[in-house]
Amino acid sequence: MIMYREIYPGVYEIDILNAGDEELVKISEEMGLNLSLDEMKVIKEYFKNKGRNPRDIELQALGQAWSEHCCYKSSKYWLKKFLLGFKTDYVISTEYDAGVVEFDEEHAYVVALESHNHPSAVEPYGGAATGIGGILRDVLCMGAQPVALVDPLFFGDLSTPYEKLPPGIKHPVYLLEGVVAGIRDYGNRVGIPTVAGMVFFDESYLTNCLVNVGCVGVAKKDRIIPSKAGGEGDIFILAGGATGRDGIHGVTFASAELTDTESTRSAVQLGNPIMKEPLIHACLEIVEKGLLTGMKDLGGGGLSCAVGEMALAAGYGAEVWLDKVHLKEKDMKPWEIWISESQERMLLTVKPKHVDEVLYIFRKWDVPASVIGVVKGEKVLRVYYKDWLIYEMEIEFVTKGPEYCRATAERREKVEVDEVKEPEDYAKVFLKMISHPNVASKEWVIRQYDHEVRGNTVLKPLQGRIGFETHGDAAVVKPTDSWKGLAITADVNPWMTKIDPFWGTASSFDEMVRNLVAVNSEPHSFADCLNFGNPEKPERIWEFVESVKALGWMSKEFGLPCVSGNVSFYNETPYGGVAPTPTLMGIGIVEDVRRAVTSNFKREGSAIVLVGETKREFGGSLYSKVTGMKCNVVPKTDPKLLKRYSEAMLEAFRKFKVLSCHDPVEGGVAVALAEMAICGMGFEVSLDFIDLFSESNTRWIVEVKEAEKFVNFFKERGLKAKVIGYTGGDKLNYGKFSVELEEVEKAWRSGFSKFLR
Amino acid sequence: MDIRVAVLRIEGTNCEDETVRAFRALGAYAEAVHLKQFYSDMIRDDEVRSIWDYHCLVFPGGFSAGDYVRAGAIFSARVKSVLRRDLEEFIKEGYPVLGICNGFQILVELGALPGFDEDKPIADEPQMALAINDSNRFECRPTFLKHENRGKCVFTRKLKKEIVMYPVAHAEGKVVFPRGREEEYLERLIENDQIVFRYVDPEGNYSSYPWNPNGSFYNIAGICNVKGNVFGLMPHPERAFFGWQVGREEEVFDGKYVFESVIDYLRKFY
Repeated sequence: MIMYREIYPGVYEIDILNAGDEELVKISEEMGLNLSLDEMKVIKEYFKNKGRNPRDIELQALGQAWSEHCCYKSSKYWLKKFLLGFKTDYVISTEYDAGVVEFDEEHAYVVALESHNHPSAVEPYGGAATGIGGILRDVLCMGAQPVALVDPLFFGDLSTPYEKLPPGIKHPVYLLEGVVAGIRDYGNRVGIPTVAGMVFFDESYLTNCLVNVGCVGVAKKDRIIPSKAGGEGDIFILAGGATGRDGIHGVTFASAELTDTESTRSAVQLGNPIMKEPLIHACLEIVEKGLLTGMKDLGGGGLSCAVGEMALAAGYGAEVWLDKVHLKEKDMKPWEIWISESQERMLLTVKPKHVDEVLYIFRKWDVPASVIGVVKGEKVLRVYYKDWLIYEMEIEFVTKGPEYCRATAERREKVEVDEVKEPEDYAKVFLKMISHPNVASKEWVIRQYDHEVRGNTVLKPLQGRIGFETHGDAAVVKPTDSWKGLAITADVNPWMTKIDPFWGTASSFDEMVRNLVAVNSEPHSFADCLNFGNPEKPERIWEFVESVKALGWMSKEFGLPCVSGNVSFYNETPYGGVAPTPTLMGIGIVEDVRRAVTSNFKREGSAIVLVGETKREFGGSLYSKVTGMKCNVVPKTDPKLLKRYSEAMLEAFRKFKVLSCHDPVEGGVAVALAEMAICGMGFEVSLDFIDLFSESNTRWIVEVKEAEKFVNFFKERGLKAKVIGYTGGDKLNYGKFSVELEEVEKAWRSGFSKFLR
Repeated sequence: MDIRVAVLRIEGTNCEDETVRAFRALGAYAEAVHLKQFYSDMIRDDEVRSIWDYHCLVFPGGFSAGDYVRAGAIFSARVKSVLRRDLEEFIKEGYPVLGICNGFQILVELGALPGFDEDKPIADEPQMALAINDSNRFECRPTFLKHENRGKCVFTRKLKKEIVMYPVAHAEGKVVFPRGREEEYLERLIENDQIVFRYVDPEGNYSSYPWNPNGSFYNIAGICNVKGNVFGLMPHPERAFFGWQVGREEEVFDGKYVFESVIDYLRKFY
């Protein structure tokens, strides 16, 4: 049987009307559609009703639109059930690529967080760079000026011996260096500061590194642009980089397990920050002048998805002239043009009277732009190539996509295990903890990113005495002329989610809130990037569902809206899947940036107060990791209590002089105190074993002048706080043990960087 | 008189907003101007500019044209091809020109710094280079600078402090002079009072990495031309203009002096 027939030059018709199940599967495989048999059958039925066979461009478009990456077919049922729908009155919109939230009377801030995992595992430099490019466009397309970038990264253990690497898998050191260089070279060039992030190591990331990227932007409220077509007769303008063959099948590649990281390089796009930088200026000038009706970035699925989604969201159809698209290479087939994911492109809808003005602005910034189509009233998408009509499908059919409620299977350990006991040599274990790559100084990464460009970074990722800085809890930027600021943090604890995805996710949420509160900002909204394994495996989708449940519960009970998100499945290879990784990006509002609080000890002789309650909770802890003592008791939390503590902390910041504040995370209070001391001021505290190393939630360490009043302030509210000691000296004296500051500093500064060039 | 400042840009320039803001905070009129606005015939009349519309030109930080060749090479080549004569005249007449970070790299590539010849303020070829940092990495970090100019540089005359803190953020900032002629260059710079800033540690001592973040010869962070009206430096004063940018309670901080000095200079002379 002949399945493919060329009907126009470069356009093939595929005989699916006469195809049996086996042939349908074969077509999906041969064309790289990554569609299941059931999905292919739905398509066959659709074309049967039309009375004709589909063309290659039509099937390719469906493969893009119905991919996990584009239509969230395995996740949307659960997201709708548990997480979405909760909003506060200051949330402006959550339906597009980025969430829009009120900042002040005049301004809104825009939030987006995404994964770029598969491309980065294959080509770390290009994959990470284009991840930055993509997230900038998500924020830009809302009409916002990007003001900050965030990049949580996850790799296998840096000490992995080369001979232990599975075939085709790249070493974590190589991946880390490539990813950091990609973010550096792209982020620094476009001139948007990279202000926060995290770097986490776990063996589950060895064959699937995760590269998440977040961006925050600021827009005038009356200039926010919807990601939908304006109205019938509006003109589609495609602006930015030329369309090429790079990044073809990026989304279908991201919607399947990664089997080999060498043969899939063609699916990774190439970034060009020096096209992006003027593209941002040109788009914002067009926004400022009110010349456009809608804007969307071209990401996964390229033009195919962008045109479809813009038209569908507005309730219109469209006509597109593919031969008008400016190309990198001449002989591209129409379907390739339609689904190419070439970078640095934006799609605008513009009223006909403004087309010339818009094209002038792009020309002025040396950004190529072409008129490529028009918005139509009928909800059908028609694509022409030269004079031939090569694509004609109802938009709703293409863009809506299937939805699945896949079977789940619990894998939680039913029996409590807790073998944790006091160490024989406290100092030795402590030094192991402080030098663990997950804890140790990330200065090697942070200094390679320009975190100060735009001149608005108030709290930087490294804080304290110049030349001897420590890690901060959250970055603070000042995005407008007022004193108001945005605090930004990125958090997740994969060791905890691995044992218990529900409590691990709840703990990650707690950590995010603590970080925002620690810098004296009021938690305002968050975004999530949910990185999981293959959803077709019941225990993986169970992990996902548990995590989403926890997020929904924490979000609603605490009262913090989820304003933007992204799901990344199939972070799995034949060697295993990633630890459940629900990365969270928290945004807080700082009333006055001059009152933001940093993490380093400031004055000799101040009291050190521990706010909150410490329980015996070592599941997923750093202590358990470095000692090898098993424990599956993951810290629990209570969103209502977290809320009460957070409010009390923020009130205390107004009432008392707080010199520094930090929250205990990996390694508990012991590590947190060390991080506060590392800029050059020791301390003397008295803590028992549990207080030192347990990683219980909802706690902060605060350096204050008026210790007694501060502690009473919490007690009066039925909350816990106690003085644990005083700052000063050049030792870290924990009571149970004591170490020289110099020795700790050395261990902390070299624990991570010693693996790198 | 209204002092007008042009902060020049091409694609990849990215510190123009905060640089414009610094001048405006001190009451000058400053605007970001695309190089094309000086010469391209596709620009509409209301957006056409001439360098003679301004009293001061600034090349701000960034990655002009991506800096894929040598940093600043492409921006300076474009300036040379369309603006050279005007710019030479501009400098000769005593109007100030500032280059920060990428701007310093551009002025060096252009031959405007070190600028030993007063009659020929733009040399035919570069006389020095800003080479790749010794660490071989991009470095974003605060640096301490000792002000060593004896009064020639018009951008630091109002600076009374001996040590200031401005952050750096660059991969190519190591001052290098022609091999074998370093001492001769240095002597000329010192004799002409062209050295403006040198990297020091917090105590004010000349020190090595990380205090000298790039391995610059003689710890040089910024120099001016022989006339004192062209000034280039790697650190970013516009990022240390306000106290809140550097975690200080004061309203304004060390970076202000650069902008204040040149405005004061212009007020007196024009």
